[in-house]
Amino acid sequence: MKMPSPTRRHFIGGLLGSASFWLYSDHKVWADALAVGNAGPYAPRYFNKEEWRFLNAACERIYPTDAHGPGARGLGAPEFIDRQMDTAYGRGELWYMSGPFVSAPANLGYQLSLPPREVYRQGIAGADAYVRAHHDGRSFADLEAAEQTAVLKEFEHGEMALGAVPAHLLFEQLRQNTLEGVFSDPLYGGNKGLAGWTLLGFPGARADFMDWVNQEGAAYPFGPVSISGETA
Amino acid sequence: MTTKKTDAIVIGAGWAGSILAKELTEAGLSVTILERGEDRATAVEGDYPTSIDELRGAIRHRLFQNLSQSTVTIRNTTDQVAVPYRRLAAFLPGEGVGGAGLHWSGVHFRVAPDDLALRTNVIAKYGKNFIPEGMNLQDYDVTYEELEPFFDKAEKVFGTSGEPYTIKGKVAGTGNPFAPDRSDAFPLPAMKDVYSASIFKKAAANVGYHPYSLPAANASAQYTNPYGVQMGPCNFCGYCSGYDCYMYSKASPNVNILPALRQDPKFTLITKAHVLKVDLDSDGKKATGVTYLDLRTNQEVQLKADLVIISAFQFHNVHLMLLSGIGEPYDPVKNTGTIGRNFVYQTITTSRAWLPSKQYTNLFVGAGGAGVAIDDFNSMNFDHGPLGFVGGSPVWVNQAGVKPIAAAIGGPGGKAPTWGEGYKDAMVETYRHSLTIDAHGSNMAYRDIYLDLDPTYKNAYGQPLLRMTFTWKDNDIRMNQYVVSKIEPIMKELGATRYALGTLHANDVFDTRRYQTTHLGGGAVMGADPKTSAINRYLQSWDVSNVFVIGASAFPQGMGYNPTGMVAALAYWAAYHIRTTYLKNPGPMVQA
Amino acid sequence: MKHCTFSFTTALGAAALLVLGHMPQARADASADLVAKGRYVAEASDCSACHTIKGGKPYGGGMEFKLPIGSIYSSNISPDPAHGIGTYSEAEFARAVREGVRKDGASLYPAMPFPSYARMSDSDIHALYIYFMKGVQPVAQAAPANGIPWPMSMRWPMIFWRAVFAPSVASAQKDVNRTFPTPAIARGAYLVEGPGHCGACHSPRGIALQEKALSASSGTAFLSGGAPIDGFVPTSLRQDQRTGLASWSEDDIVAFLSTGRNLKGESFGGMTDAVYHGTQHLTVEDLHAMAQYLRSLQPNSPNVAAWQYDPAAATALQHGDASARGAKVYVDHCAACHRTDGHGYAPAFPPLAGNPVVMSDQPDSLVHVVQSGAALPGMTKAPSAFVMPSYSQMLSAQQIADVVTFIRGAWGEQRLPRRCGNGHQPAEIRSPAGAGRKTRSAELNQRQRKVSGMVAGHRKAATDAQKETGAGSSPAPVLI
Repeated sequence: MKMPSPTRRHFIGGLLGSASFWLYSDHKVWADALAVGNAGPYAPRYFNKEEWRFLNAACERIYPTDAHGPGARGLGAPEFIDRQMDTAYGRGELWYMSGPFVSAPANLGYQLSLPPREVYRQGIAGADAYVRAHHDGRSFADLEAAEQTAVLKEFEHGEMALGAVPAHLLFEQLRQNTLEGVFSDPLYGGNKGLAGWTLLGFPGARADFMDWVNQEGAAYPFGPVSISGETA
Repeated sequence: MTTKKTDAIVIGAGWAGSILAKELTEAGLSVTILERGEDRATAVEGDYPTSIDELRGAIRHRLFQNLSQSTVTIRNTTDQVAVPYRRLAAFLPGEGVGGAGLHWSGVHFRVAPDDLALRTNVIAKYGKNFIPEGMNLQDYDVTYEELEPFFDKAEKVFGTSGEPYTIKGKVAGTGNPFAPDRSDAFPLPAMKDVYSASIFKKAAANVGYHPYSLPAANASAQYTNPYGVQMGPCNFCGYCSGYDCYMYSKASPNVNILPALRQDPKFTLITKAHVLKVDLDSDGKKATGVTYLDLRTNQEVQLKADLVIISAFQFHNVHLMLLSGIGEPYDPVKNTGTIGRNFVYQTITTSRAWLPSKQYTNLFVGAGGAGVAIDDFNSMNFDHGPLGFVGGSPVWVNQAGVKPIAAAIGGPGGKAPTWGEGYKDAMVETYRHSLTIDAHGSNMAYRDIYLDLDPTYKNAYGQPLLRMTFTWKDNDIRMNQYVVSKIEPIMKELGATRYALGTLHANDVFDTRRYQTTHLGGGAVMGADPKTSAINRYLQSWDVSNVFVIGASAFPQGMGYNPTGMVAALAYWAAYHIRTTYLKNPGPMVQA
Repeated sequence: MKHCTFSFTTALGAAALLVLGHMPQARADASADLVAKGRYVAEASDCSACHTIKGGKPYGGGMEFKLPIGSIYSSNISPDPAHGIGTYSEAEFARAVREGVRKDGASLYPAMPFPSYARMSDSDIHALYIYFMKGVQPVAQAAPANGIPWPMSMRWPMIFWRAVFAPSVASAQKDVNRTFPTPAIARGAYLVEGPGHCGACHSPRGIALQEKALSASSGTAFLSGGAPIDGFVPTSLRQDQRTGLASWSEDDIVAFLSTGRNLKGESFGGMTDAVYHGTQHLTVEDLHAMAQYLRSLQPNSPNVAAWQYDPAAATALQHGDASARGAKVYVDHCAACHRTDGHGYAPAFPPLAGNPVVMSDQPDSLVHVVQSGAALPGMTKAPSAFVMPSYSQMLSAQQIADVVTFIRGAWGEQRLPRRCGNGHQPAEIRSPAGAGRKTRSAELNQRQRKVSGMVAGHRKAATDAQKETGAGSSPAPVLI
């Protein structure tokens, strides 16, 4: 990461003063980005200590560190998810959340009354309880990597409920949010060093390919740049 | 309650509403657009680079309807209990000034002329018994020749890029040989083909199909439209669908119409105005105006008008007609009524080809409307006789700019893992070296597929939600399977190391969790018979003659083409007849 | 959006009867004709840019001009008898507009461009007077009291300034009536030199901040480019190669004045206000007259060779080579709209290549636009609004200096490489003429100066005006 975080903070600080900023419906996300400092390890604001351990471990299994580079932890995906919990999205304010809540065929979509932050709160508690019951009292974060992967596969395909949350639903919530954290603009706390974009070869917010519309199969030459001007 | 007066009310500030408002102010009327969302202007919140933000845009749905206030309920069959569409996924209606016209991609078709009289054409060619039981196949009661000037006008307003085939009966270019004749060239030359599209073009031609560059409302060069507004050229940044275009090159009401319209003193735009109902006089034959909720003050306002244009998104149009008591609600059991009848969608499936690792497809390079298509299996361009289904699909490479979050969540495809070990390898291969081919097809109307009011769920204003009863039917599944089978030779020809064909499967039900298209249609369809259509050929309500209902809600069945070009042409068509006929002599323009 | 700098409210203006085309009746009564003509003169003279605040009532005054010695406010020129000019006779009105003398005999600050307005015809002044009396609603509110403390608040020294630098009406009118090659050029000269007061920004100023030339008849300094205003450097409007309008056709000039944009560039800073409030309202005939006149002005620097496009920079970028200083910043943040070849996508996004702003010896305008961004509002004949984002929070001072250096080296100041080599010297702190800034913070100004100094090839010499006033010190208060 060439550009230190203060640049990002300054950038957002600038946005706060602009007219257009306040038109953004979800500008609190941006304000949050400003509020979060760069010093020291990230301190979660929504997740408690146990949840945070679970989240870090699970994110890392979904998007692991390997020869390609850092995994979800190194990229800040848990931080991203923690910050998302205090947004309109995390609070479920973008969803129709009026009752009655009834069970319906899966193809008719999400029918729980829980917003994402509650899916995590109840789901992680249920998941850790499930893991303790099946793994000698150890929590998910205490398992070996291979064991964690096996548990997540159980959740992904299983029919069990973790508290009020069906396991596959917690898993998909985790998978989607982890990948969002890995591949979104670093403005939101993830994709640190633009390493997510670099892996795929995605050029980021430059958003200009006039000279590269058709290179007859050649690769695009420039590395990524973020909204705030960070480059990899 | 406050009461005010205007000549004409236009509900919704999307394409249809903006076109009608522009035309009616040109005719000298005072016009008020009521838009329930926020005001939006590209120069204000669509700017570079802050709008180049996938999370805020396509993932958190910045420009889309906030379902927390109002949504629909969905069930697959009439014996189910419908449940709310709680999270945006399968289809993405817009909200705010520009509507879906702000977040669309920009594929800008005209219409396959055969589709306008599909019932007549199918019967003429294959006989009446060819139409499956329960399919409500209908004609539009308008011809391509009648609509042509309005397709032409819309293209000039949109700054559409494309390659013609024939102009005034003479071959004038290398465009789609199945496309209908044109009175004039496209205002801009066709967009360039990205690499994926260019190899698809060669392969499809080698197979014997007729590939052409898609007509796109993404400007291939700087452009000034007839209203004097200016567009920049598309630089293939790929932030089209789900975004406002910072280059001012994707046509939208915000870029192409509203800057001029806002200068007209006869025009008023009221945002955060949620229309609760169209007000009718005591015998229900005339609209007196509308009642809307001012979402800023939470006060109800009565706005009086001589003319009411319902031009919101497709299903909002139907919802508002049902809530207002305009026309008779459709009853699938008795097979009576028209409002909610012939609710249709589109079929779409995606197939993927992986290329050798030295070939980069640079999926992030793209434009929403650009690409290469074949129409060999669309509309009535092929012999349905031995196939036994109605409808068809264009097939295309429409590389619209694939962003990393959507790609990552969608996964690498094929049998590759969607997370964990092996995921990154597979994602890298797919993101750098693959391309996709879509079959984007028609969807017919059926007696038991319809829209009505939900008996249980309510919106934030206490009104019943609209209920969709929808699933896939055998005719359309078989159509999709047939067309996808025709993709396979292209896959072999373009040098794929492997490929995966995506099709609908027998007995597939509609899945609301997966994005398909936002091309919903019907529910208030146009036609010649008031027993089977809600509006006449001028998009005028059969029941309340000073109400016009503009949008894809007028389509009797879902066509293979993207709907916006047709919606815009119908809007200009209706506006022309309002201006030249209705305003001189208000009343029904077609006698029922 | 309005800029508020002392004496530099740029405007080109005109007066004509041609608005009659918009009158509802072919033979409107004489008074209505006169009011309409007066409105046209007011638009041409850009009165509202200073005398109407955003969201305020027309001509109610109250626009603040922040000066180093305190704030002054534009006056209420509505016909309100108590707070406006309702009790002015036409002669008193004419004296204020053309000579800078209030009804009570006090001198106006030359924020009011009366040295240019002295050229306005009796007929236009009459129409303007009738318009303000009959076509403008009285605004019963006092403009805020000026905040300049004594002794600088004394207006009497202005008498001497006027005596030395402001032309008499008689001499100004005589100059207006000099011989011109064509009637159109005569008309254009009247509009540019008189009501339009273009020289207020685009002419260099002398020791007392007086314009060095008030018309084309007093030498080639007239409209040869002015000192920085609000951090922008007004370009030459003469037929100077590179830094002037030599490469603009008559139609280019007309398009620019009527829409703020053309195929060669886009307006920014105070010029955008001048077009928005002023020139876009002028008739096509008047705009052509102005353009013909401007194109008749010989270059102030006649020995400058015409600019030639050099494709080298674009070729490198289009082959993926962004190794030149500032090139990567350009690719990452600028090329999307201005293109790797610098040609932009005019008229939506302006070209940098060949743009006089890029060619200027002084990088101030470029640095300012990169730092602060720009917004071009929709105009009647070009309803589209365009914005350029501000990069002041996104790019470091060094990055901005680098990218400006790249742009100037690639498509502008091509003598640059020989003088390149030390891009990091701090610039001298210049005295910004008309230092008042409502829209820009001192911090931003200082940063712009710093960044300008970091741009390679930045011209170290202060402008004449700056040398004469003593760079680094405040302008002499008597001039304000």
